Amino acid sequence: MIDLVWLVPLFPLVGFLTILVGGRKLGEPKAGYLATAMVLLSFATAVAIYFDLLSRDSESRSEVVNIFSWVPVGDLQIDMAFLVDPLSSTMLLFVTGIGALIHLYSVGYMHGDPKFSKFFLYLNLFVLSMTLLVLGSNLLVTFLGWEGVGTCSYFLISFWQTKDANATAGKKAFVTNRVGDFGVMLAMFLAFGAVGSVDYAVINDSALAGTMTQATATGIAALLFVGAVGKSAQLPLYIWLPDAMAGPTPVSALIHAATMVTAGVFLMVRINPVLGAAADWVPMLIAWTGAITALFAATIALTQNDIKKVLAYSTVSQLGYMFLAVGTGAYVAAIFHMVTHAFFKALLFLGSGSVIHGMNDEQDMRKMGKLFKFMPITASTFIIGWLAIAGVPPFAGFWSKDEILLFALAESPALYIVGIVTAILTAFYMTRQVVMTFFGEQKWGSHANAEEAAHLEVDDAEAGAAPEPVTHGAHGEFKPHESPPTMLLPLVVLAGLSMVGGIIQLPSLGFIPKSMQHKLLDWLHPLVEFGEGPEERGIGEAVIKDTWAYDNKVLLIGIAVACAVIGIVGAYLVYEKKRMKPIEPELFANGWNYDRAISWFMGNPGRKGFQGVADFDSKVVDGAVNGVATLVRETSSQVRKGQTGYLRQYAGVIGIGVVLLLGWFVVIRGIL
Amino acid sequence: MIAELVSQISTHEAPAQALLAQTFVGPEVNWFALSPMLTLLAGALGMMLVGALTPAWPKGLYALVAAVTAGTAGALAMVQWDDITDNGPTTLVGGAIAFDTLAMFLTITICIGVLLVSMLTDSFLRGTPNEGPEIYALYLVAAIGGIVMASANDLIVLFLGLETLSLALYVLAASNRRSLASAESGIKYFVLGGFASAFFLYGIALLYGAAGTTNITEMVATFQSGVDLDNPNALALAGLALLIVGLGFKVAAAPFHVWTPDVYQGAPSPVTALMASVGKAAAFAAMLRVLVTALPFFRDDWRPVIWVLAVLSLLVGSFLAVVQTDVKRMLAYSSVTHAGFLLVGVEAAGHTAGELDPGDGMPSVALYLMLYSVLVIGMIGVVTVVSRAAGNRDGDSSLDSFKGLAKRRPALALGFTVLLLAGAGVPVTSGFIAKFGVIQAAVEVESYALAIIAMVAAVVAAFMYLRIMVNMWLSPPEDGAVEADAAGTGISIDLSSGLAIAAAVAFTLFVGVFPSWLIDAAETVNVIAR
Amino acid sequence: MGALTEMMTAGLVAAEDSHGGAIAFPILTMLILVPIVGAVAVAISSKRRPEIAKLIALMTSVGVGAMSIWLLSSFEMGEAGFQFSSQHTWIEQWGISYHVGVDGISLFLVVLTGVLFPLAIVGTDPHHDEKPYLAWLLMLEAGVMGSFLSLDLFLFFIFFEIVLVPMYFLIGGWGYENRVYAATKFFLYTMFGSAFMLVGLIATAMLARDDLGRLTFDLVEIAEGADFAANTGRWLFFAFAIAFAVKVPIFPLHTWLPDAHTQAPTAGSVVLAGVMLKLGTYGFLRFGLYLFPEAAVWSRSLWLTLAVIGIIYGAIAATMQKDLKRLVAYSSVAHLGFIILGTFAFTSQAISGSVLQMVNHGVSTGALFLLVGMIYERRKTRQISELGGIQKVAPIFAAGFMIVMLSSIGVPGLNGFIGEYLILLGSFQTARWWTVVATAGVILAALYLLWAYQRVFHGEPDEDNAKFPELRVKEGLVLLPFIAAIVFTGVYPKPLLDRIEPSVDALVEHVVENSDFENPEYGTQCGTFEVEHEGEAAESHSDEPAEHDTADTSCDTASNGADHDDADEGDADHGDGSDDDSDDDSDGEDGHDEGEETGE
Repeated sequence: MIDLVWLVPLFPLVGFLTILVGGRKLGEPKAGYLATAMVLLSFATAVAIYFDLLSRDSESRSEVVNIFSWVPVGDLQIDMAFLVDPLSSTMLLFVTGIGALIHLYSVGYMHGDPKFSKFFLYLNLFVLSMTLLVLGSNLLVTFLGWEGVGTCSYFLISFWQTKDANATAGKKAFVTNRVGDFGVMLAMFLAFGAVGSVDYAVINDSALAGTMTQATATGIAALLFVGAVGKSAQLPLYIWLPDAMAGPTPVSALIHAATMVTAGVFLMVRINPVLGAAADWVPMLIAWTGAITALFAATIALTQNDIKKVLAYSTVSQLGYMFLAVGTGAYVAAIFHMVTHAFFKALLFLGSGSVIHGMNDEQDMRKMGKLFKFMPITASTFIIGWLAIAGVPPFAGFWSKDEILLFALAESPALYIVGIVTAILTAFYMTRQVVMTFFGEQKWGSHANAEEAAHLEVDDAEAGAAPEPVTHGAHGEFKPHESPPTMLLPLVVLAGLSMVGGIIQLPSLGFIPKSMQHKLLDWLHPLVEFGEGPEERGIGEAVIKDTWAYDNKVLLIGIAVACAVIGIVGAYLVYEKKRMKPIEPELFANGWNYDRAISWFMGNPGRKGFQGVADFDSKVVDGAVNGVATLVRETSSQVRKGQTGYLRQYAGVIGIGVVLLLGWFVVIRGIL
Repeated sequence: MIAELVSQISTHEAPAQALLAQTFVGPEVNWFALSPMLTLLAGALGMMLVGALTPAWPKGLYALVAAVTAGTAGALAMVQWDDITDNGPTTLVGGAIAFDTLAMFLTITICIGVLLVSMLTDSFLRGTPNEGPEIYALYLVAAIGGIVMASANDLIVLFLGLETLSLALYVLAASNRRSLASAESGIKYFVLGGFASAFFLYGIALLYGAAGTTNITEMVATFQSGVDLDNPNALALAGLALLIVGLGFKVAAAPFHVWTPDVYQGAPSPVTALMASVGKAAAFAAMLRVLVTALPFFRDDWRPVIWVLAVLSLLVGSFLAVVQTDVKRMLAYSSVTHAGFLLVGVEAAGHTAGELDPGDGMPSVALYLMLYSVLVIGMIGVVTVVSRAAGNRDGDSSLDSFKGLAKRRPALALGFTVLLLAGAGVPVTSGFIAKFGVIQAAVEVESYALAIIAMVAAVVAAFMYLRIMVNMWLSPPEDGAVEADAAGTGISIDLSSGLAIAAAVAFTLFVGVFPSWLIDAAETVNVIAR
Repeated sequence: MGALTEMMTAGLVAAEDSHGGAIAFPILTMLILVPIVGAVAVAISSKRRPEIAKLIALMTSVGVGAMSIWLLSSFEMGEAGFQFSSQHTWIEQWGISYHVGVDGISLFLVVLTGVLFPLAIVGTDPHHDEKPYLAWLLMLEAGVMGSFLSLDLFLFFIFFEIVLVPMYFLIGGWGYENRVYAATKFFLYTMFGSAFMLVGLIATAMLARDDLGRLTFDLVEIAEGADFAANTGRWLFFAFAIAFAVKVPIFPLHTWLPDAHTQAPTAGSVVLAGVMLKLGTYGFLRFGLYLFPEAAVWSRSLWLTLAVIGIIYGAIAATMQKDLKRLVAYSSVAHLGFIILGTFAFTSQAISGSVLQMVNHGVSTGALFLLVGMIYERRKTRQISELGGIQKVAPIFAAGFMIVMLSSIGVPGLNGFIGEYLILLGSFQTARWWTVVATAGVILAALYLLWAYQRVFHGEPDEDNAKFPELRVKEGLVLLPFIAAIVFTGVYPKPLLDRIEPSVDALVEHVVENSDFENPEYGTQCGTFEVEHEGEAAESHSDEPAEHDTADTSCDTASNGADHDDADEGDADHGDGSDDDSDDDSDGEDGHDEGEETGE
């Protein structure tokens, strides 16, 4: 079965090509269903592969499948090869699975869009790239997918490109990601120089064998982390993700929540032996970047009014958690959270999409409320997602977040504090969102009020996110309506997953049967069974066995639950019961002015500098060239004046020549 | 005095008692070896006499006769060439004339020049008071002068040739009686030329004082026996200096080029062509004879001077051409640049002058002269044809008169373009081969600086050629010009000039692609008769 | 008379020989000759029937294209040396011979030339005086072909110089508002460069005479036979380098390029960007490195620095351009910077990347200029500010532009990336910090192209742009080959690399042998932690012989290089080639041992 792994990317490829050629003929909804079917087939293949791996003993679950020799030059032999192992298979499962669901959802969501088939063209291309990214057996194949998903996200963010803000957002995403790619490329070069190959196997093995110098390991790890920061929207490169919400909501769900943005985490886990061999400051850096990003984004999420912006910042925040996990060596926890997050965040995004759909493309939560009774299914699924992300047991998010916090504490209390605070904030802002959207008093209705409509326009312009207003635009009396089944089915499925997703990695607690514990860990072993460096290796929590944190797991769980409750209750009091005035500082609302500062810099000094270079080129460099030409012309027209046409003057010149000539001999040869 | 001279000359033939008997025994003369010169002479005299006695000949016959004469002379020269290559070089007329490949190579060059120029001249003279034998006779005389210069083995003889050539050219320059410019150019050329000849002659005198002879063979022998470079020979050096001045004037090397623009512009176009081709060829031949052949032992004295002259000519020629607005004047300046290139070759020859392997200097110069002569005649031929359109015989050769030539006369424009590119030294033209030759000679003797200066100057000069091309191809013809051409009042290309230009273009391209036969020929000119 | 005539005839005969071709079919000579004949035919074809001229031109260029393809197909893979070469005495007094040949470095440039011209002829329309236009184009093709094929310094110089003339007339005659200025600038600037080269190449031959015992301008003879004193070699190298640097162009000698590109007619820009700039980069490889390895190594930091400056500087300048064509022109400056960087890194990967990138740049930038030309044809403007929203009215056109643009940005899966990646990866090993900066240039590439794309294609079209016609079928057919090449090379570059690499390896070896340059050895930190990966690999290896997983898991890639070759079209030399440039034998040895171990 494993040898057929190439089918996984093949199906979306086929879908892509078919729609590329016949997309217009297929039209709506055929194109959509075709694309969905293709991804479903990939999913089926992925499942088959999963079981194939499962049937093997854990030591032989890693295999390389070669497709063809891609870039062979001398010592550099890069193959188009797929590495099938528990990690990639896990990723495949949820990428194709959630991908399929979101494809299905999109059939409903994109209904009536003039570029319907094109949307699925891009979507399939995205799945293709994502599977390549996940399956790559060497950094270059991964990078191929890495850039592919980036390009697709560029296409899809600026999908409604006639609106300038969307186009800009797409460009911003691409360029910002390029900054990260810079790191990935250099990492590859470094790896090749060190181990003569860019294959994960070779790199990891040499890291484990300890033959890779610490300097090299540090370099590779740090540079790849730069790439991860770009792709997974961590500080300081997170700025593109909030703007990316300009894309259609399914895109936000699939690319900017569930799959693509987690690529950075995946990459870090993929090369975790190198992280182990690297200098200690690298994991520390990763952990702190993650922690701070998590907190930072959470604070911003507190104050957003755009239903998607809240989720966007929450995504950044949750990705922060994952990096916190990676940095603390909790690779399993990172993957665990990645999976659960994929479930509930996709659910939340699709839910918000359903809301936007039902509200006729209204995204401002201040104009919502009381929607529960108009779209019950959407609402209830959304609530499940909310509980999951808020960290309420036994929902999926609780387990994964808890494990991360456990490792954080084992590493350093400071990290733990940041994590806990973030957890409270998360619960708080998610509750805020749920209340503002589905409960509280009804704030929507007639948009006849001109000034309010205008205000809405402005708001959207600021958000830069509102999709093309559809003809039956947001005005006049209207009732929010529940979405079509194609959109609801995915919601329900994801809601289910968000509820029970936790079982794949239950902690080792007394009341949980041993057989149920640490499934994911056993599965991912031996890929992530390493701690600091080759000598001290342990399996998962074994690494932190003898820490205070490990001994007090139960207590930690209690704290976590408490935090969730605090957050929820607090928000409930503020926004539902109106016990106190909400505190929403401008600073948070403006994202600490970070983004603004950057765009200001790009706009003013940056642009001036570029213009300066351009002027230098035209004035100085080219000026010199033209200067020479002018010089020639000038001198000659001066000398020319000597050519008076008078005989005597000519004779004079000749005479001078004679004198000089004789003079020459007199002086040089000393005659006379 | 004469007797002594003669006796000196003819020691080996004349038995001693002849001296005692004070009877004059002239040197034995190999008339056949002189046949090219004699042919031309016969042609010249014949045209004068017969032309004077007979009524006006049918159209074009004068030109034809002149051309045929030149052609025959050239052919004869080729025959001589064979003889020389078989039996080695000798001297004629008791050592006064060198009978070697250099002489023959230039004889051929000059004859080709005269041939082509006569073809240009025919239609040019039609219906002018000059339509008659005189002009052509003067061409032939000039040719004789040039050949004498090229093959002189005695400075006096060389001077005779120089004067013969110059006098003919003075008259020709002024020959267009209707044009003030022509008269002016004649006067200027005459006065300055006389000035220069004076220097030249004085130089000969001083050199005679130093060497005790004017015969190159003996001069070499004398200096060979006793030149010590530590306390230099003032007489010889002063003579050398003055000779260089005279030659520099004739080859139009800066700063002795000042006459060139005015004279070239003023003179009737075909005459300009003659000056630029035959005049230059002869002058450079003379320079080779004097400097390389006669004064190899002073090469370290004259080479730096030539170096300076070369650089000056290259810069002045190329820079000043840039701002000109009259094509003939441009070509005048470009001829100065070309003189500079030729001087590069001479400088190269100066490094190895008098050695067993005299290097590539002289051959490169000889080759350059032949290629350039044809080239320049072609260019000025086009100018002649175009400028004639402006009504008067030798009118407007301004840059504007070439506007839109490609639209008016595509073939002519194309031909001119080829010639201009050759002038700029673009590959697959003879111009490139010529430049390559001299540069190679220079590089071979490691005078890199000069080579690079020359190439850079060539770039500047190229701008001038480009300007002309822009006018021909990229600017529209002046209004009515095309109609005028159609009506026949515009540019009309007559058969003979057309042939001449076509021949020049063909030659330029052919040599550009298949140069080896000419190079072969040129390489033999190193073997000098002494 | 006789002797002279003999010489004459001798000369003629020799000349004729030089056209009578190689042993079998003088394919290379035909590649040069056919366009010339075609040009003449076009020139003399009837004025009244321009379509005849067009037909002749088309047939000629297509024929040449076909021949170049045939050349590609019958090119001996894994051969390092020159193939199809034919040599005939031309000017024996000067030791000049008509010597042409093709190797992996020039092969694809020749093919590119052969394919690009017909497309340029079909895809563009001069609007007036079609006859001379076509004639000049064909002359240009002959010149470019000649430059890529000639193996004689003199011959090369002739072609190198002669291409100026047709290009001058194409720009000057069919260009845009400021054409005369641009054409003259281009002509003089390039001629200035070659002035030094002429002196340099004569000096080279003259000085080599002492070692070779005879005067010859033959590239191979001089390169293999002569060794110049370090100082001399450096002077000569720079004489050549100036000419090439102007042609490439390398900062700060680049300013003729934007003018020439912007003012040239579309076909002119396509050819200029597609092949003519490569004369410079090709010259560096073929003449710079091959003739004067020591000097090249000695001066490398200069070139690397200039290259990096070009990359960043060109990109920044491109960002701020208001004229779309100028923007593309400046992007060329940046891209060629990469090629120079790779050239002077002296590693097999970097130089192979450079050669590949020459072709890639030719394809993608050529296509970009075609597209910009189409935009100009439709809107009669190149000003970015006057364009906008085109994607809405012409989605297919926009899509085509997007693909080409992405390849130019260097997105993996498209050709541009493979070249850039190899260059950077190879350079990183020998010129680390330069490469780091250069890699940053990759970011800028995305910046200026995406920004331009946004301004031209995104947004709502104004009324002028609303009438923007969609891509026509003919245009699409012209564009198709470009896009096919872009995708194919990006997905499966192996066929190209396999033909390029042996010659490149030979060149690298030549450089290493003749200079104090040390090529790094890779995989020194390589260790094997567990056998499991290899075990797995070996298994699947035994399963499918076509695969070669050892390459992925085992550290020793040199031996795997050999494995690879046994696997694919069985060219053994290629393997040796890849061994060669890791100049430490012992490494190669235990490499093989390990290979065997894993095999068991």
